[in-house]
Amino acid sequence: MNLLQLEGVGVRFGGLQALQAVDLEVKQGEIFGLLGPNGAGKTTLFNVISGLTAPSSGTVRWRGASLAGLSSHRIARLGIARTFQNLRLFSSMSCLENVLVGMHQHARQPPLAALLQTQSFRRRESQLQQEALALLDLFQLEATAHQDAASLSYGDRRRLEMARALASRPQLLLLDEPAAGMNPSEKDQLRELIRRIRDQFKLTVLIIEHHVPLMLGLCDRLAVLNFGQRIALGSPDQVRRDPAVIEAYLGGGT
Amino acid sequence: MDAGLLEQMLLGALLGLSVYLPLRCGQLSLATPGFFAIGGTVAALLSTRVPALAGSGSTYPITSVLLEMALAALLTGVLALGLGRVVLRLRGIYLAIATIALVEILRVVTLNLEFTGGALGIFGIPQPFNSAAGYAAFTLALLALICWLCDRLEKTRPGRAMAAIRDDELAAASQGINTADTKLLAFVLSALVAGITGVVAAHFLNSWNAKLGNFDASITTLAFVVFGGSRTWLGPVFGGLLLTALPELLRPVGDLRLIVFGAVILVGPLFFPQGVITPELFKWFKPRIGGITTAAAQGVKQ
Amino acid sequence: MEGLLQLLFNGLSVGAVYSLFALGYTLVFSVLGVINFAHGAIFTMGAYFTYLLIGGAVGANGLLAGLQFPFALPFWLALPLAGIAAATVALVVERIAFRPLRDRGSDPLLALITSLGAGVILVNLIQLLVGAESYSIPVGTLGSLPAALSIAGAKVRTVQVMLLAISGLLLAALSIWINGSRSGKALQAVSEDPVTAQLLGINSARVIQIAFGISGFLAGMAGGLVGLSISIAGPYFGIGYGLKGLGVLVLGGLGSVPGAVLGGLIIGLAEACVPADLSGYKDAVSFGFLFLVLLIRPQGLLGRPQANKV
Repeated sequence: MNLLQLEGVGVRFGGLQALQAVDLEVKQGEIFGLLGPNGAGKTTLFNVISGLTAPSSGTVRWRGASLAGLSSHRIARLGIARTFQNLRLFSSMSCLENVLVGMHQHARQPPLAALLQTQSFRRRESQLQQEALALLDLFQLEATAHQDAASLSYGDRRRLEMARALASRPQLLLLDEPAAGMNPSEKDQLRELIRRIRDQFKLTVLIIEHHVPLMLGLCDRLAVLNFGQRIALGSPDQVRRDPAVIEAYLGGGT
Repeated sequence: MDAGLLEQMLLGALLGLSVYLPLRCGQLSLATPGFFAIGGTVAALLSTRVPALAGSGSTYPITSVLLEMALAALLTGVLALGLGRVVLRLRGIYLAIATIALVEILRVVTLNLEFTGGALGIFGIPQPFNSAAGYAAFTLALLALICWLCDRLEKTRPGRAMAAIRDDELAAASQGINTADTKLLAFVLSALVAGITGVVAAHFLNSWNAKLGNFDASITTLAFVVFGGSRTWLGPVFGGLLLTALPELLRPVGDLRLIVFGAVILVGPLFFPQGVITPELFKWFKPRIGGITTAAAQGVKQ
Repeated sequence: MEGLLQLLFNGLSVGAVYSLFALGYTLVFSVLGVINFAHGAIFTMGAYFTYLLIGGAVGANGLLAGLQFPFALPFWLALPLAGIAAATVALVVERIAFRPLRDRGSDPLLALITSLGAGVILVNLIQLLVGAESYSIPVGTLGSLPAALSIAGAKVRTVQVMLLAISGLLLAALSIWINGSRSGKALQAVSEDPVTAQLLGINSARVIQIAFGISGFLAGMAGGLVGLSISIAGPYFGIGYGLKGLGVLVLGGLGSVPGAVLGGLIIGLAEACVPADLSGYKDAVSFGFLFLVLLIRPQGLLGRPQANKV
């Protein structure tokens, strides 16, 4: 069974068909890339999977079961986490607090213990803090743990969003343009980081990116979207040589 | 300081906390005076119409006051649960307007029903304390309790979830936070605080009428939070205390005092966009308070 | 039949005032996205200005006790002049309560508080200057017009007819201006998309001022009309209108000019339908509508639904 399956997913906004009959399967443990020019519908696809946009047609299946009608917080609780193209951090909170919020589903404490600050409550809080700090450390953010998220550099904020997404212990991680604004060496580090967290946390990763070489070097499989339709699917080698893909990126204009 | 003024300030601080709670979730609810009015009406009706509660002493028994509080809490809580589900689907200014409408509908209904005292209201509400100082001590204890609860809320998972919703509701939902339930929790807590405060106020003021839960109160209590600071419970307490005292402090200025009050809320948001008690200011306090509590906690561990 | 016509007339004339009032709200909302809580106070000032301009005398309380203008203008001149005075006040309110927040990029909801502060100042200023008593129009203000007319068997007060006629004129003028003139179209552009409008060379700050000015003029005229047709019940009489105006606004749809008109008339008629023994509940009609609308169709009758961008 595929972890995530999209069957004929279509999204219509008024007169605009943002996605059209998109079929996709993502297998457990793979790093799956979503390529395509601007406006191709990639983020819309993420929005459909994470429950922010309801599809006008088609179905999204998670481990075989349909996600239709589920709110985004229910979908998050099923084990799907995401980052956002335009960065949606909690700007009034520190980095550590952002990650702690990410851990929300797993951080539940009995209300009475929380109120009275019992030993067990404090022990658990301390555990959660350690876990959060460990995640920040993984993304080289430990030094800024208590700094306001809004005061971080752009690159740091991107990594913070990833740390926060990972904090919810997801099974599927959706990364929306994680390499935006990065220089080549940072992109290399990112590639390594994504591979490492996939292995370490036993994740499946679905990633949207513009930077084709990065994707070709990172992903196990790729799909290419253009004007809301899937125009290619396959291994990096297959996709690289697909004439429809070359046309979409080089010919025709975006 | 006049104990009567102190009591009013403490009540103001409590109302500020009531407005602050939904605001912590990013919800601009102006419903506090409505729930305050319900609490006051419950107290007024029970204490004047139910002889069994009157007790045998010269003052009204505290246990009866506590019973009134429990009932007021029940009533406002249930109402907030029912209305909240519906009203909290709205955002921003629409939510604010809906809560204004709620308060006005309540006011008009209370004004017109004979049962709730009609236009004249209910008089002769019995007194549990013989002096304003007694009230002040009681209300201070209540305020301390609510502040403590708010502080616990802020430092634990539900409080963090609320702040996350305020910063970015969409992102909060993507982290698995049930935003609808969390917002409802804040709304219900806000109603409970307002209702309980209404009970105390009704006894303190000796009489109760529909005018006490009106739009003016919505805005002044909102001003407490906007002026005082909306990031932590200390803000609305500070704002509530200060802005309630202000018209009294300005008495020497005589007829100009309300104009000065208006000027304060006109100019306040310009100079203190986050309110006076900003997170930075609070952090300055924290090490000093935090140092003491950490030492105490460690002392307990040993 | 006369009873129904009477009801219709009453409802429409009350509704016309609500519409004028709500139009002011809607104009400001359409360009700024916030409600001007000083609007009720500006409406009140319009009423007082009108009273003074038709030669009314200030009572014994207040700092300006006994003030009376040395002239007494006819009502058809006093009203627009009062409107202009109110518009000026509105511009001042824009300058001190709204613009500084915008310049700083503050949260727009803070403007609710500052505009409220401005409203409190204005209302208490009125009280300080002219006292808190009520004023009714001097006899003979309407000149040679009879106090009441008979239309199709229904008895209507001349003042009500006037109210309807003037409101209708103002509404017509407003629509012509909004759809026909350059500044009117600029206003529509700014309300649609302020950033793009700015990029197209439209001076948003100027457009906002125009919106406030017109909003103040309408409020002032509405206040004057109410003062003439009913009375001025003291400096706080505008607050009730201010709140009811919110109901009209939401019913019609925030930001919609035709919506404000429609909403005002509907609520006016609904209020007129409240039976006499339940008259205390009249005030709740507007809020009842408001609540229902927000539950069922938050964008109101003619408003645009709000979209959420991810």
